[in-house]
Amino acid sequence: MGFFAFGKTILGSIFKKPATLMYPVVPREWEERTRGSVGIAGEDCIACGLCAKVCPCDAIEVDKETGAWTIQRMQCIQCSACVDKCPKKCLTMENLYTIPDVVKVVDTYEIPKKEAKKAAAKKPSAEGAAAPAAEGDGNLTCDDTCVFCGLCAKACPVDALEVTRKPEKSWKVDNETCIKCGACVDKCPKNSLSL
Amino acid sequence: MAKRTIIPFGPQHPVLPEPIHLDLVVEDETVVEAIPSIGYIHRGLEKLCEIKDYDKMVYVMERVCGICSFGHGWGASAAIEGAMGLEIPERAQYLRTILHELSRVHSHLLWLGLLADAFGFESLFNHCWRVRETVLDLFEKNTGGRVIFSICKVGGMRKDISNENLQEIVTVLNGIKGEIKELTDVFISDASVKNRTVGVGLLTKEDAIATSACGPVARGSGLYQDLRMTDGFGVYGELGFEPCVEEAGDSYARTIVRIRELFQSIELIEKAVAKIPDGPVAVKAPGNVEGEAVVRLEQPRGEAYYYAKGAGTKFLQRMRLRTPTNQNIPALVKMLAGCDLADVPILVLTIDPCISCTER
Repeated sequence: MGFFAFGKTILGSIFKKPATLMYPVVPREWEERTRGSVGIAGEDCIACGLCAKVCPCDAIEVDKETGAWTIQRMQCIQCSACVDKCPKKCLTMENLYTIPDVVKVVDTYEIPKKEAKKAAAKKPSAEGAAAPAAEGDGNLTCDDTCVFCGLCAKACPVDALEVTRKPEKSWKVDNETCIKCGACVDKCPKNSLSL
Repeated sequence: MAKRTIIPFGPQHPVLPEPIHLDLVVEDETVVEAIPSIGYIHRGLEKLCEIKDYDKMVYVMERVCGICSFGHGWGASAAIEGAMGLEIPERAQYLRTILHELSRVHSHLLWLGLLADAFGFESLFNHCWRVRETVLDLFEKNTGGRVIFSICKVGGMRKDISNENLQEIVTVLNGIKGEIKELTDVFISDASVKNRTVGVGLLTKEDAIATSACGPVARGSGLYQDLRMTDGFGVYGELGFEPCVEEAGDSYARTIVRIRELFQSIELIEKAVAKIPDGPVAVKAPGNVEGEAVVRLEQPRGEAYYYAKGAGTKFLQRMRLRTPTNQNIPALVKMLAGCDLADVPILVLTIDPCISCTER
């Protein structure tokens, strides 16, 4: 690197714009995929709790009783696993990161209670074991490879599934309560379930 | 007969990006012996993998290191996929290869900057990092993260990258090629830079073999060894890969290896983008992990080793990771014996140490 190369660099540096942004006077432009922080559109949330289940660092808590959706902002690693999992697509990945703070920020959102929806869901409409209830409408179905292990019922966030082994083996789904989140399908060890 | 003194070097030292401690036994200005000690940044990430679901663990493994994070995510996913006997789609393999090579570009640019900083060439350091910023912007646009991408998962990729965006990556890389060339010419031909690197920190081929050195350190000592030559690692077999080897074994040779790899990575990305097939980017992973598998990857710093074992549950029984810096520390100790005290920072940097990888 001789004198001329230095000269070129120096002249370039004098006349070019600086490589850095005059932040925060000039705001940063975000990309569409930039993962900043998790946002929630509370009115669509059904408090299924799947986001809390998939969170690798236990940053999210969902309290079904009080309808509170809590996120510990400093614990969140912005992996967007919850956003991908959300069955109602009410979670979003915002571009802007959590603003720095001197305390650990915990955000709580109220999930509006859906009284009318709950009343409708109370109607008993249990299907028979492994019944392919109205195929093609996106309902949950179970084929005959089922071993009645009950893992699906445990995974169900809204307790729509009932699996019994005694006196006789049976698998039931309450299609009114089912939110079609797919948690049971993911959990099934025999891949018997389909949505 | 000069008096022997011990000078502690690190764990906090301006030249060290991460904490490693060296006790330097010096006679006058010459280092006679270096005794390394690590253990300042251990986080217990391997153990964490045993107490949570395997699909959450890819995010943890990515955080082993901030620079080769994609490689760690890939290695962990590939090890779990191997244990499950899962075949991932070809497009996902291509995308992983492209992102891995892009990581190498950013890692080597970062390292060149740090090297410039170590011998006191501040403006060169800033220019290297300015160019690296372009690569980070590409990452942000395509994966959503600048450093931690979270795009790898067990079974493939979480998001597809469109062909237009892949083409854009190639265009941008070709655009900065000229700038990289200008910067690397300084490392290759500038007399004052060469004074600090040529003949400094000699590691012979025999020593490199004896100390099990890997990555650019081994290739700088004339070892024809690169995991990208082996089958079953990404799609390198289809891209016609040939490792960059230099014979000299000094700091200059190691620098040249990394500079050549920088351009080679850009070429590999270009070839991969030209060949990438369409199709799905992920397959559904079966519920549980049963069995064990070993995966070896060529990280920017050298060979990394991943081992995953599951016993039919959602949790892994064991996740093991051995990183390249771990392998290169014995080689560093060998290089340090007999060098000048003023050359220690450069020698520590020429193995491209990543201590947070090493200690996990």
